[in-house]
Parts: sequence; structure tokens; C-alpha cells
Amino acid sequence: MSTQKNLPQPVIRPEFINEDIADAHTGDVARELSTIEKIWNINGVRKVVILFSLVATWQAYTVIMNVEPLMFPTFLFAAERLVVDLFQGDLILKIWFSVKVLVYGYGTGMAIAAVLVLWGTSSRIGGDFIAMATAMFNPLPSIAMLPLAMLWFGLGTASLVFVLVHAVLWAVALNTHAGFKNVSQTLRMIGENYGLKGVPFVIKVLVPAALPSILTGMKVGWAFAWRTLIGAELVFGASSGGGGLGWYIFESSQNIETEGVFAGLFMVILIGITVENVLFRNIELKTVNRWGMQRS
Amino acid sequence: MSNVPEIVVRSEFEAESIGDAVKADVARKLTPLERLVDMDGVRKFSILLALMIAWELYTRLSGVSELILPTFSATATAFYDALVNDQLLIMVKNSLTILVMGYAIGLVIATLLTTAAIMTRFGSDVLSTLTAMLNPLPAIALLPLALLWFGLGSSSIVFTLLHSVIWPVALNAHTGFMGVSDTQRMVGRNYGLRRVNYVTKLLIPAAFPSILMGLKIGWAYAWRTLIAAELVFGGAIADTSGTQSGGLGWFVFANQMDMRIPHVFAGLFTVILVGVIVESLIFTTIESKTIRRWGMQSS
Repeated sequence: MSTQKNLPQPVIRPEFINEDIADAHTGDVARELSTIEKIWNINGVRKVVILFSLVATWQAYTVIMNVEPLMFPTFLFAAERLVVDLFQGDLILKIWFSVKVLVYGYGTGMAIAAVLVLWGTSSRIGGDFIAMATAMFNPLPSIAMLPLAMLWFGLGTASLVFVLVHAVLWAVALNTHAGFKNVSQTLRMIGENYGLKGVPFVIKVLVPAALPSILTGMKVGWAFAWRTLIGAELVFGASSGGGGLGWYIFESSQNIETEGVFAGLFMVILIGITVENVLFRNIELKTVNRWGMQRS
Repeated sequence: MSNVPEIVVRSEFEAESIGDAVKADVARKLTPLERLVDMDGVRKFSILLALMIAWELYTRLSGVSELILPTFSATATAFYDALVNDQLLIMVKNSLTILVMGYAIGLVIATLLTTAAIMTRFGSDVLSTLTAMLNPLPAIALLPLALLWFGLGSSSIVFTLLHSVIWPVALNAHTGFMGVSDTQRMVGRNYGLRRVNYVTKLLIPAAFPSILMGLKIGWAYAWRTLIAAELVFGGAIADTSGTQSGGLGWFVFANQMDMRIPHVFAGLFTVILVGVIVESLIFTTIESKTIRRWGMQSS
């Protein structure tokens, strides 16, 4: 009883009715949106308008200020050059060359990363090796390996593929290994309970459980590979034989055909958007989002 | 009730044949060798050592030309030589100066863009359109344009660095701010936080994992762009900045042109070293002092 006396008494406030709250205005909430407001509320419309106004600003600026086309061509000029080169020139072939090299490099890099990570998950020394190698090679920009690659593999596609492998391998291995390590013990034990062992265990339990992390690795790897490829072609494109998209940009800038540079940049952006927003987005939607591992 | 299955009653039994548990091995003292191998640092260091020895042995035994693959000892000597005679440190400083300049200006612009994006819906649309378009564009592809607009010099490289920093940082910061939960926002308002206080005390800490991710990606892109740009145009920076040397990328390129391959390897070592220092010292320290301490990310 004595302890209760020490507690503060509850404060009892008198009841009151708040008289002067104004009537709620429900009018504006219930109001029908006007057609313009409804259109403006559509996401796509706003973005198209923004895109269009950016292009219009560009065009207006270059036309009105009478900017030297060698420094900054008008949008229409650049777009025209893109269409002409796409349909009459060999831009398509150059894009194909770039994409082919990219796919070779990316595929090889992924395969090597898969082998490396399998070794890393099955033995402690392999795990240590992956940790060491990724810590060392991940911060090394793969483009810096290009001078060496050209020395070892000569001037050609092989050197490009080598740097691309270097760009993809470490990012993918690092993320996949981290993803595998973070698969919860519960999930692992369920897998073992089902009698999964060795490769089926990896494919049916570890890979799906670590897929968000693996996808992150693949996306980072793609981003590095794409940047490396364009950089390598831009820098040493002439020596890499056929010449790709980066080489097209470099060639145009050497000939001071600035509209060609812009046309090349358009294509680079277009391919980048296609891969990131169509390819990876769809993979994500069909796997990690559908499985509820990641919110869209 | 009749639909419910009957309860199965199993008879009790006692398992007799379980052998004595062998606990000797669990209680056994580890030998010094085992304890040594259990140490993380020792294992990693010995892997590193083994790689170096394998490299040295391979180059010596197979008789590979030094122009293809120099021995490890030759590379180490070249590294020392470059440090003492070739002003390698000044080159690192040149590279880092440009990098810091581009990174800092990029951060400022990214902050402005993100601020506009979280304040108005229109700003958010502008930002998402711009990042969707420009994020997939490798910054190095802008170098030819930058050279045309700003001439041969460090300002061209700073321009490309800006491009490589702004988009990932703005994109991630914006995603982070958008993802701050309504509960946390309301708690902040309940405490009477407004405007600048609201942003610095609530939004930024809550979105910090995402912001830090953006900063790391921005750094990775900027570092790669800088090396690539210097590989080609480093000599030009050297002329305009008045020092005798270009950047680190130029060091690699120039030595490759002179066929001084040990020096190329030494340059690559330096690139790795700078990368490791920035990634594992600076960013890991920031991480452990902020989001790990706050329990937002497990180590």
C-alpha cells in the first residue's frame, strides 16, 4: 500500500465540448476533376510532356541562338543523322558488333563467376579466395586492364572480351557470394530436410533464395560492362577491328560531325534503357517481385 | 464432429540402442596450427602470399617475356622506382584532385535535383525522366563532346565526372526519400520537426542506406570514368595544370606505350590501392559509424 501512495495521482480533467470547429468542407474532395487535371494525373502524359519540352528547348535554343552546328547541332539535325545512318549507313552493323562482343563477354563472365561461387560456397578456402579477389579486383576499373589485354591478346575482339569478363566477373561473384551467405539457416534446413544435396541444393534453394542479390550483381555487372565496352571502343576502337558503337561516336567526333556524336549517344541511351527497363525489369517482375521478395 | 479424424494414439517406447554421445572431439583443445588457420586475416594473407609466389614462380620457370608478363619482383621494383623517380604520388594527387572536384560539384547538383524532386510532383517527374534517360549513358561517351565544348583540359574531365556522379546519386537519394515510411514521417511531425530540421533529422537518417548506396555507386562510376578518360587524354591535363605529370591513368597508358610493362603493373597496383582505400576505409567507416550503428544494415 505504501508504494501506491508514492505514485502520482491521475489527473482528471473536466469534460468539455468544442463548439467552434467549423463545418468540414467536403465539397472539394467530392468535386469531379476537370479533364485537364485528369490528363495531367496520368504518369505517362507528364513524362512525355517533359521529354517533349526538353527536346523543344534544345531545338529552340540551337535555332534561335544560331549556335554553330559543329559545337551543338539542332535536335532535328541529329535525329535526321541517326535515321539516315540507321537505314542507309552501317550503324546497325556497328551496333550488332558491340552487342555481340558484350554478350560474349557477359556470358563468359557469368560462367566463370558461377564456377567461382560454387567453389566459394563449398569450401572455406574458396570463400576466402573470393573475398580476397573481389576486394582486390572490384575497385580496379576494367578499362585500365585494356592496355595489358591488348598486349596479351592482340588488337581484336579477344581483348575486348577479356576486359568485359573482368568487368562482369567480380561484381557478379561478390553479390552472388554475399547472397548465398545470407540465405537463412531455416531455408537451408528445409532444403536439407527435403533431401536436396550438392547441385540440386544450390539450384533449388540457394539460387532462388539469393536471387535478389544475384540480380543486383547482374545489373551492376551489366552497368560496368556497358560502360567499359563504350569506353574501350571509344578509346581503342580503331584497333579492335570492326568497330562498334563507341567507335562510331569517336569517328564522328574526329570528323567533327557533332550530329553523328549525338546520334551515337541516342543509340547508347536507347540500348541502355532497353536492357535496364525492359530486360532486367521483366526478369524482376517474373521472379523476385512475383515471389514477394521485393516490392515493385 | 464425426468429420474430424480420430486421434492416433501411439504406444510409448524407450529407445535402448542410442550409443553414448562422443563429446571428446568437441571438448578437444585445438592445436596451434588449427587456431592459426581459423584466423581470418592469416588465411587471407596466405592466399595473397601464395598468389604472389605462384606469379613469381610461373614467370621465372616458364620464361615468359618480360614484355608480356613481368615477374612479381620486377613489378615491385618498378613500383618503388615509380614512387621515387616518376612522381607517382603527384600523379595520384592530380587524379584525386580532379576526382574530388567532380564528385563534390556532382553531389551539390544532385542535392539540388533531389530537393526539387521531393518538394513537387513535377520535379519528381523531371528527375525520373532525366535519370531514366541519362543513367544508362556511360559518362565516358560524353568525353568527345566535352572536349569539343570545354577544350583539352581538366574541365572536360570534370564535366564527364559530373555526369557519372549526378544520376546514380540523385536516383538513389530520391528512391530513399520516397521509401521513408509514413509512420516515421508522422513521428517526426509529432515531434514538431519542420523544414530543414525535418529533412536533416528525419528524412536523411531514414533514407541513409539508400543515399550511401548512391554515393558508393557514384564513386565507382566516377573512378572508372576518370581512369578511362586519363588513359587517353591525361597528357592534355598535364599541360594545362602546369605540373610535369598527368594522372594515374596516363601513367599506365604512357608506360604501356613505352613498353615498360613492369611500370604498367605498378600503375595498376596503385589504381587498386586507391580503390581499396576509398572503398574499404572511407565508405566502410561511414557505414559502420552510421547505418550499422543504427541497426539499419547487418554487417
